[in-house]
Amino acid sequence: MITRETPLARTVRIAFLALWLVITLFPLYWIAVTSFKSPGSVFSYPLTYWPKVFSLENYAGLFAKSQFGVYVANSLVVSITAALVATLISLMSAYVLARFEFRSKGALLMGFLVTQMIPSFIALGPLYLMFTSLGLVDNRFGLTLIYIAVCIPFCTVMLRGFFANVPDALEEAAMIDGCSRVGALFRVLVPVMKPGIVAAFIFNFVNCWNELFLSVTLINSDGKKTIPTALNDFISSYNIDWGSMSAAAVLTIVPTMVLFAFASRYIVQGLTAGAVKG
Amino acid sequence: MKKRQVLSLVGIGLAAALALSGCSAPAESGGKVTLQMVESLTNPVRTKVLKGLLADFEKANPNIAVDLISPPTDQADQKIQQMLQSGSGVDVLEVRDITVGPFSTNGWLSDMSGQLKGWKGWGDLTDNAVKYAKNAKGKTYYVPYGFYGLSLFYRTDLVKAAGFDGPPASWSDLLHQATALQNPAKNQFGYAFRGGTNANSNVVVAIEAYVAKKLDHDNAFKLTNGKTIFSAPEAADALKTYFTLFSKASPPSSVAWGYPEMVQGFSSGSTAFLLQDPEVIATVGESDAITPAQWSTAPLLAGPSGIAVQPMATAGWGTAAKSTHKAEAAKLIEFLSEGKASTTFSQKNSLVPILKSAADSPFYKTGAWASYLTMTEHPDKYVSVVQPRDSAWWTEWIQKSDSEVQKVLIGQMTQKELLASWDAYWTDKWKQK
Amino acid sequence: MTKLDNVTKGHPSTATGAPGPAVAVGSAEPRSIRRRRAFTVRRGATMVAFMAPAVLFVAVFIYYPMVSGSQMAFRNWNLNNLTDTAFVGFKNFQTIFADATFYTVLGNTVVWVVASIVPQFVIGFAIALFLRRTFPFRGLYQALIFFPWAISGFLIGILFRWMFNSEFGVINDLLSKAGIIHSPIPWLADPKTAMVAVIIANVWYGVTFFAIIILAALQSVPDEMLEAAALDGAGKARTLFQVIVPYIRITLSLTVLLRVIWIFNFPDIIYGMTGGGPANQTHIVTTWMIATTQRGDYGQASALGLIVVGLLVLFSIFFLTASREKKGDLS
Repeated sequence: MITRETPLARTVRIAFLALWLVITLFPLYWIAVTSFKSPGSVFSYPLTYWPKVFSLENYAGLFAKSQFGVYVANSLVVSITAALVATLISLMSAYVLARFEFRSKGALLMGFLVTQMIPSFIALGPLYLMFTSLGLVDNRFGLTLIYIAVCIPFCTVMLRGFFANVPDALEEAAMIDGCSRVGALFRVLVPVMKPGIVAAFIFNFVNCWNELFLSVTLINSDGKKTIPTALNDFISSYNIDWGSMSAAAVLTIVPTMVLFAFASRYIVQGLTAGAVKG
Repeated sequence: MKKRQVLSLVGIGLAAALALSGCSAPAESGGKVTLQMVESLTNPVRTKVLKGLLADFEKANPNIAVDLISPPTDQADQKIQQMLQSGSGVDVLEVRDITVGPFSTNGWLSDMSGQLKGWKGWGDLTDNAVKYAKNAKGKTYYVPYGFYGLSLFYRTDLVKAAGFDGPPASWSDLLHQATALQNPAKNQFGYAFRGGTNANSNVVVAIEAYVAKKLDHDNAFKLTNGKTIFSAPEAADALKTYFTLFSKASPPSSVAWGYPEMVQGFSSGSTAFLLQDPEVIATVGESDAITPAQWSTAPLLAGPSGIAVQPMATAGWGTAAKSTHKAEAAKLIEFLSEGKASTTFSQKNSLVPILKSAADSPFYKTGAWASYLTMTEHPDKYVSVVQPRDSAWWTEWIQKSDSEVQKVLIGQMTQKELLASWDAYWTDKWKQK
Repeated sequence: MTKLDNVTKGHPSTATGAPGPAVAVGSAEPRSIRRRRAFTVRRGATMVAFMAPAVLFVAVFIYYPMVSGSQMAFRNWNLNNLTDTAFVGFKNFQTIFADATFYTVLGNTVVWVVASIVPQFVIGFAIALFLRRTFPFRGLYQALIFFPWAISGFLIGILFRWMFNSEFGVINDLLSKAGIIHSPIPWLADPKTAMVAVIIANVWYGVTFFAIIILAALQSVPDEMLEAAALDGAGKARTLFQVIVPYIRITLSLTVLLRVIWIFNFPDIIYGMTGGGPANQTHIVTTWMIATTQRGDYGQASALGLIVVGLLVLFSIFFLTASREKKGDLS
């Protein structure tokens, strides 16, 4: 649909996109600048917009004062595992919801939608008691389980939209050729839906990577903390360690940015496939 | 993607998760006991000191290991509640004067008087420490590790440059000096006002100073005539001075200031006065913005009668009722409450010590600590009182009173309404009891 | 504690409430066999097997704790005194409805949701429209402006709290350098500016989600439709409002619905930035609920949680009816 663009429209477009880029990146720039200031000069006045000396002291301090590497590893393992398993489970449930007709389908979908409306705080207490009796408190496997559960509803609904855009005929043909239903799903549908599945996986991953309240509640020991829990520790009511805080923030944001740089194509592609219904 | 590939990918994920969970079982082989210990008023400096002491304890008691859990302060008491309620994951815990009431009411704390009966350390404790370690019913739910008390941090250089002889001694002096030092254009402010979390505490301290002569020392929210301190006419004077301090001599943003902002305000050099606990001595000492020659502390501010009122605040170590290692827990608590361990803990965290002998130490006679000595040496001028911090509704009170202080600051409530509301609240609570 | 065990164990009904859908799937199956031709037992079994893990996870880890948590809403459940956790009916709800703060908080929540979602939608839509045209490094640009969505809400709260700091914050510094203000604004200390500040942070964060979804939706609009519109001589604005918007209407309305629910239930930014202050003026229902649990009143907190679920369910029904969507097309 690319029509010709008037010079004015072009200027507006470029100016708008440029402005938004600046607005988006500025907080990141500012936290990065703060992280490279020496701990003492974080509170110097007037403010400096470019550190006179690039100091790595905050970063060194971060790794010396806390087990930041361990937090990163915990976050990675928990988020990747939970996102993978949740995507797989949702793939199956979404398949059923997209391909089969049955009476309670609407109720199931509604049941999934309602989970989005529940404030997590109502469930934290009972969850803690349940996890205690299961021996899952202060346990990364337990955290992974609850993250899987949290991801499933939205992921199912999202993937269902993608299935709806893939014609039935595709897997029916495969099944006539002797594929089992499972075989048809994984050999025929999954490859076609790859961008959508990648998008769903990334949604799940980001949600788990950023989750705060559940991990604060369920994890106790330092060696099992995830990054958001650790960040929360820097803001104790005794002291806000802005130096370490900003260094940690930079180290948290950069990996997700890199992930996005690689995946944004898939995300938009995947969502385009599911856009009409999803 | 082939089916096999997908499955193997999932398999790897699950295996990783299982491997992670595998290492979480506590090892209790060879009769070794592992105590789970949770702290509440966590801060990085303190955690480090505590870990050092625990290492000493483990060395002296090879059969006991201690796992320290350090939740961030804001969520710590909530976390401790959850652990106590679930009945697992905690043996020794930090009990505060404000949590001991609810925790013991719920039967979550073990009465340690049995285990500590023959403890030789009792005799070394100060009277105050014993008073908190044995409650009115003779039960020991916790042994305090130290006391918190307020003093006035001030900038010696700025006070001198403005032509004052010395630090303010009373609330009205403070208002006078802080107003003189206020210069917003230069980012220089008089007083590090507390408007955010726990804003109520300093308001109450000011009121108590103004009603000092008729204050009930065992319930410092009460007058000797049985009414609340908020009903006294002097309370209105106290509020007038106190809130003028905000409008004339404090940074406007201090409406939202809690502990970290206040301390930062002072240690960054932007405010000249700060009313805080002694532990701030260590924090300010680390500041790059002001040198040790530029600041000191002065005793707590007095009211018009010349008397200052110091509310006592404390916390200590207790044992969970559901703990299966009570004897070992008692051993740890004894260790932390006597001798070198106790002295180290209170000195490194700048707490008023629990041991009689510590008061003689030169540490408490020098520098910023001198004002504390002044206060202990003149108990009639600096009166120690007990606030009803063990009330079951204390946290409710904090939330209510904090938000009402902020309402006054932003002009949604008058000072008179505030006093009436607080008076009604406590009168009602006492009546219910 | 024993009391609590009794409560959770003594209510098996709460546990069975959730797996309901799973049972329903099973019972619905014979009916479908009758209705459709190639249905086999095997097919039904596959269906149940495929659905089971998802239903099981959601039932056990979300619905069970939620249902078991909601019964506290009808009890005198205060952690500061658990010796008496009697059933009190709707007393917790009455207390909430009698509290003037509740209405302030409710009003704040509406402001928070509306003032956040409108700019998010408009800016997100504009970005998506502008991004349809290819230009050099579009992929990189996309990756750069999409990143806020990958940051945790709590971290965003902290980040913006730092930037809105009155004395050392960069925002006051920039404004005064630009000559717009002459003395620092105590952003987070004044109720009006504090609400503005948290909403700015939320808009910054949420634009991305709309931009991604709308961009995807725009790309799904068939070129033929646009060409036809162009042949009809439709102008840009007309093409947009009469061809594109109707085509992606479903996506738009469902995205808005989902975002309303999420923003309503999103305490992270406010929690990190103001904690609900000053004087409760930036509390939304969910942050107020956090504050309520912090003072140990789980009964009232649960009641608030149920009010949230109730309001959102009502809103969703209203919204879906208004946008004339069939329930089955919820996706």
